Amino acid sequence: MGSVCREDASLRYDADPHNPPSEVRSDALFREGLTQSGQTTYTPRLIALDLKEASTVSVYSWCNSATIWEYRDNSTDQSQAAADSYFPPYSLEEFTWEDLNRTLNHSALTAQLCGRNQSQHRGRVCFQISAFESWGRDPAWPRLLHSANSSQLRFVIEGVMPRSNCSRFALELLSIDSRDHEAREETHRSIDDEYTPSIFQVSQLVSVHVNSSAPVLSYAQWKPVAYRTASPVFEDSTPCRHSPSSPPLPPPRLGLALAFFGGALDQGYRASAVNISFGIPGEPFYNATGYLSWSCLLGLGSPPEDSFSPLVLGIMVVGLGTPALLLLVGGAYVCVRRLGRQQPGYAPIN
Amino acid sequence: MADREERRGLVQGEDDSEPSPSSSKYGSSSEKQLSACCDPSRLLHRIVVLIFMCFLGFGNYFCYDNPAALQTQIVQDMDLNTYMFMQLYAWYSWPNVVLCFLGGFLLDRVFGIRLGTVIFSLFVCVGQVIFAAGAFFGAFWLMELGRFVFGIGGESLAVAQNTYAVSWFKGKELNLVFGLQLSMARLGSTVNMNIMGWIYSSVKGLVGSPGHTTLGITLLIGCATCIFSLICALVLGYLDKRAEKILNKEQGKTGEVIKLTDVKDFSISLWLIFIICVCYYVAVFPFIGLGQVFFIEKFSFSAEQARAINSVVYIISAPASPVLGFMVDRIGKNIIWVMCAVITTLAAHMMLAFTFWNPWIAMSLLGLSYSLLACALWPMVAFVVPEHQLGTAYGFMQSIQNLGLALISIASGYILDNRGYLFLEVFFSACVCLALIAVVMLYFVDLLRGGDLNLSAKKRGQLQQISDTEAEQRERLLQQNREDLAQLRPMSAFGLRNRYLSRLGAQDELKRLQNSLEHMNDGKYLVQNHQLKKDIENNIEKCQMNMQPFESKVVVIQRAWRDYIQRQDGLHQSCMEKRSPSPPSLSSGKMSTSISMNTLSDGSTPGPVQYVFTGWKNYDVI
Repeated sequence: MGSVCREDASLRYDADPHNPPSEVRSDALFREGLTQSGQTTYTPRLIALDLKEASTVSVYSWCNSATIWEYRDNSTDQSQAAADSYFPPYSLEEFTWEDLNRTLNHSALTAQLCGRNQSQHRGRVCFQISAFESWGRDPAWPRLLHSANSSQLRFVIEGVMPRSNCSRFALELLSIDSRDHEAREETHRSIDDEYTPSIFQVSQLVSVHVNSSAPVLSYAQWKPVAYRTASPVFEDSTPCRHSPSSPPLPPPRLGLALAFFGGALDQGYRASAVNISFGIPGEPFYNATGYLSWSCLLGLGSPPEDSFSPLVLGIMVVGLGTPALLLLVGGAYVCVRRLGRQQPGYAPIN
Repeated sequence: MADREERRGLVQGEDDSEPSPSSSKYGSSSEKQLSACCDPSRLLHRIVVLIFMCFLGFGNYFCYDNPAALQTQIVQDMDLNTYMFMQLYAWYSWPNVVLCFLGGFLLDRVFGIRLGTVIFSLFVCVGQVIFAAGAFFGAFWLMELGRFVFGIGGESLAVAQNTYAVSWFKGKELNLVFGLQLSMARLGSTVNMNIMGWIYSSVKGLVGSPGHTTLGITLLIGCATCIFSLICALVLGYLDKRAEKILNKEQGKTGEVIKLTDVKDFSISLWLIFIICVCYYVAVFPFIGLGQVFFIEKFSFSAEQARAINSVVYIISAPASPVLGFMVDRIGKNIIWVMCAVITTLAAHMMLAFTFWNPWIAMSLLGLSYSLLACALWPMVAFVVPEHQLGTAYGFMQSIQNLGLALISIASGYILDNRGYLFLEVFFSACVCLALIAVVMLYFVDLLRGGDLNLSAKKRGQLQQISDTEAEQRERLLQQNREDLAQLRPMSAFGLRNRYLSRLGAQDELKRLQNSLEHMNDGKYLVQNHQLKKDIENNIEKCQMNMQPFESKVVVIQRAWRDYIQRQDGLHQSCMEKRSPSPPSLSSGKMSTSISMNTLSDGSTPGPVQYVFTGWKNYDVI
């Protein structure tokens, strides 16, 4: 059941395409790509899902472990839902997981891992993983800006029977990081909502060296929005909130973490958790559509920053430039005419 | 929509000075003594009427912006997208693309003001009820239908309201009354913005859950204001009828004549004004329609704060309109003011688009510039259109404004759905940029044509004075000419000239005129008195020499701009003459001769004054 990919071990730049290692599909998951500055990069990319331990792990220097919570939202204010409104979390190990290889798309570099709860036959929880060869945006909202150094993880809950008639879900992200590094959770305001209508925030969890202003080592970036339908339109967006990241915890002794970090896990690493809840009071509940999707960008280096699209810049330049130009040309014309007219065209009559 | 009343004020402000048809007749002839508040000729009674008059439009303004006040609720309860939501505004505007031309006609010719007002109030009421019913039953098409019916009544009701104002307050407190009605309109919008959300949550508390039923009940409560306005219409109708009986007062008329064929005569300045009007207002009203959620999403405002800030434009406009109007009237320079307003609006929109600065700044700027634009833009139409075409011009302006509003409302909903608020704001900025381009073009067109759109109020006043005296004098001349026609025929030319000039007091008149011209500080208008006299003498001598003995000729002094509105044409004409290398003489015919008084300066720009000496037989004045 568990599928752990330790691909960095078998990474070779000059891998022979005719003789791929049997276990690792490096042609799909290791790709040459372009960074934002146009350089060729070859980033090891590992997204590991440890299903036995009910966790999702995506690894750069990160390990993200996910737990899915469902809670009853009876609150009318913005405060946290009461503790007793939480249902027992879904444990992913009880899910029946489909074969990842069937959904692996070699050209689009995507894969989707779906699992079903054994007690429910209809609903499923999916993790869609996309890797990118170059700089760009996903066609689907939230259209996060990605580079070749990043991958996108999309979390989808589809048709899972809600356990109350006002259910919401929350996702716990656990990251395991070196003790030398510090996890910092930031939320920026962004004036650019062109690609994600009506969302003016970008949240990110970055890992930096302690005691230094060195650049960001790696990041997880998301926009605080989830969508309630598979092909979302503007009204299907629902805001997300996330809790402040927890103080450093001792790393949980998850099988995958142990496998990845080895025996040094306890000494050299620590964990921090962020809870992301989908929907705020006043928004429709999960029950309305029975669908939720949320995207997160995971990557190395500094997180990409949005900038205005050429169309916006073009409109503003033309819009402001034309009146200015008109004013200049018109002013010059009038001046020339004034000057020209002062030469005596008609002599005074007397 | 909020400018329809401004426009009416302008059209009817024209006959502001006419004496009231009735009030003085009544008084001694009354048989029974009425108390002051029931006596239609007394101020107290008029104040009572004024109260009803102000509340006549209250329901209409209150309900117009209901969708904006309940944006989140409507979108959620009816399961709409923004594109469909903005259809509610578009459906209001569609009937008014046509009705702007018809409203005045219907009031004057078909219904009469009293019945017309009641009918339009009924339309508003029924429209709002249908709108509420659509929400109640969850049928969006019914809501759209409701807005359509509401639109039929709404805009025409404003016309009726202003006609009432003119008929009751003409020659008295008319400007004040227009100001009060305007403030009342803004008050209606503001109250709506701030109270509807509260009503909705109260109803939600009673019904138990949000949903289209709650929305329907809320809108139905809003309809109470419309019913209140309908009652006002009925009471006004009664009071008007009663006043008619007691005072023999005539029913009010809009006096508006719409002639669509006039459109072909519209000057380029007028078309530019139209463009400014459309491009500017589409960046304001649809924005307010979508504003509430924008402030919640982008600036993380609470719903109450968002509603408050969304109504700030109206709040500012209520007191600022009269003040700014007064200022623009005193200073003149309309194009500069319009340019200021457009640039400020552009800055406000860009602030909202590209910064996270406190939106109170941007919205206050927007409110101020919106009021300033209304004060400076709408009167400009009167300067470029002859008075008899004013009705058509304003009707046309409003019609395309409504067309623009309908289209841009839909477009902005679509843009928001697909590209988000940044792009929407950029789109609105682009519209304002278009308006700015049109203003700049208007400025230059006006400058090159020597138009008077951008004159200072002082200069304008002088011109007005001159044109007034001219009009007066022309009247006198015509009168005299008619009288003299029979007697003068046998007189000799010489005798005629003497008589004519002496009767006219032409020398004195010319001197007086010249003085006032000299006051116009532009050196180009300088007129030299002696030279003028000489020219007149010369020309008249020439006249005499050319004259046939049996033809009696008189010299008709005529001026090129005959009244305030038409001065423009004269100006243009004389400019054209001057520019051509050999000015076409108006005295091409053997019987008439002309001189231009304005050749007397250093030959740069022709003055606007032109004296034409024309033969007796071509007696009808140019």
